[in-house]
Amino acid sequence: MHVFFFREAWRSFMHHRGLAYTAILALTAALALSGLFVLLAHNARVGLQLVGDRREMVVYLNDGVSTAQREELMRRLGELYGSVAYVSKDEAWKEFSDQIGDPGLLESVGGNPLPSSLRVKLRPELLNYEEMEKASQQVSQFPEVEDVRYGGDWVRRLDEIKNGLIRGAIAVGSVVALAVVFVLYNTIRLTVLARRPQVEIMSRLGASDRFIATPFVIEAMLEALISGALALTLVFVFHQALAAQIGYISFLPWTWAALFLGAVVMLGWLAAMLALTRVLRSVGA
Amino acid sequence: MITFEHVSRRHGERVALDSISWHMDEGECVVFLGHSGAGKTSILKLITHEVRPTSGLVTVGTFRSSRISRSQRALLRRTIGIVYEDFRLLSDRTVFENIALAVRIMGKYSVEDVVPLVSRALHEVGLDGKQNAFPSELSGGEKQRAAIARAIVNRPAVLLADEPTGALEKKSADDILALLSRIHREGAALLLVTTNPAVAHALGGRVMTLEEGRIIAGDPRMPRTAARPETGRSTPPGLTTANGA
Repeated sequence: MHVFFFREAWRSFMHHRGLAYTAILALTAALALSGLFVLLAHNARVGLQLVGDRREMVVYLNDGVSTAQREELMRRLGELYGSVAYVSKDEAWKEFSDQIGDPGLLESVGGNPLPSSLRVKLRPELLNYEEMEKASQQVSQFPEVEDVRYGGDWVRRLDEIKNGLIRGAIAVGSVVALAVVFVLYNTIRLTVLARRPQVEIMSRLGASDRFIATPFVIEAMLEALISGALALTLVFVFHQALAAQIGYISFLPWTWAALFLGAVVMLGWLAAMLALTRVLRSVGA
Repeated sequence: MITFEHVSRRHGERVALDSISWHMDEGECVVFLGHSGAGKTSILKLITHEVRPTSGLVTVGTFRSSRISRSQRALLRRTIGIVYEDFRLLSDRTVFENIALAVRIMGKYSVEDVVPLVSRALHEVGLDGKQNAFPSELSGGEKQRAAIARAIVNRPAVLLADEPTGALEKKSADDILALLSRIHREGAALLLVTTNPAVAHALGGRVMTLEEGRIIAGDPRMPRTAARPETGRSTPPGLTTANGA
């Protein structure tokens, strides 16, 4: 029986090709727009993740801190915040020298003024401005600590960018989802009205609403799937063109693409159910 | 099997049926004769629950018009075969597919059952060899035969025929009447509505004449206990309601 419903859906699709193609075209345009935004959000997320992984807190130590005190502090910080690495005065000076490179400039400093420090690579859940600020204030209370730096403004800006992208993705996604439902709702409504004689005959032969509706639901889901696949193809073409211009950017992972298609098909189902609930009551008397 | 108790049906100011009562038993043949607008088609629509009575009660088997849901209405229609004047075949499907649709709608047959059931129905109406034809390739008489095959393929308890010969020339009309008569003799109840007195009397069934929504001639054969002013709650004898009341 299931084959029968798919055959009926295909028959209806082919019968109203003009209507179906128009719907697919409109949906593809809307979904491609949303797909581009998803691609942008994905790459921004990848970029932010790379930058975020490098975020760390630098804890500068007082000059008089003994090895035992330092190790106790490292143990405490490790327990509370993440992995801790010690950078001695000499290592700090060497790093600094490597970065500056000019021996004359280094000589003019006259000795090593840099303090020893602990570099704390924070746990993922602490990689946001609020948590880093809180951690920084807590760590600065330890008597062995002279100062704590973590680049607060920079971290805050990164968080703002990330939140902005999430809000944008939700806004664009919602508008496109509404557009998908609207287009498919009207397409299925028009398809049912165009096949009114068939629906009436089936109703008079004793067909249940479900029997009549199933092929139309399959048709809506099929149109949504085709539109989603076409939109993803367009996004891929755009990705290739962009990658040729600006270098490496990553395409959507297959899980994202599958989720995108799944969401679109579910929207097709929702739109068809909404349309059929209303239209069958008026047509299938 | 079918009982109308003081059934009225109004479309705005116009009265299609005016408090009519009648009854038909299983296996019976009943004909409603009347001119256009007399209320014949309204009777069929009330039986299939396409419309509800403005007042009164329609009982078909165990289904009552006062308390029937959409899903029950679908079940009711599966127990009825119906033939229309304009055939109402689906033009984009072959004869076989038109008839097979009715089998599939029943939902109780497997895929393997479809071919033998449809073939038998086609054989019964004399359309062997026409299964792959589209309705546009058939004559009027053949279209009506295909429609009858679709109506009888699920062995309905009652066959409704709405002016089944109205669109046919005399020879085809006679053939269709002979076919309907044979189907009735084989056990199905037959309810036919027509404007043509010759057709009405050709089947040899009980003829009732309708005029302006009233039965003016013929025996409505109402069971005694049911023929009383309608409150919408009475139950004809010998019939149980959908909820067993």
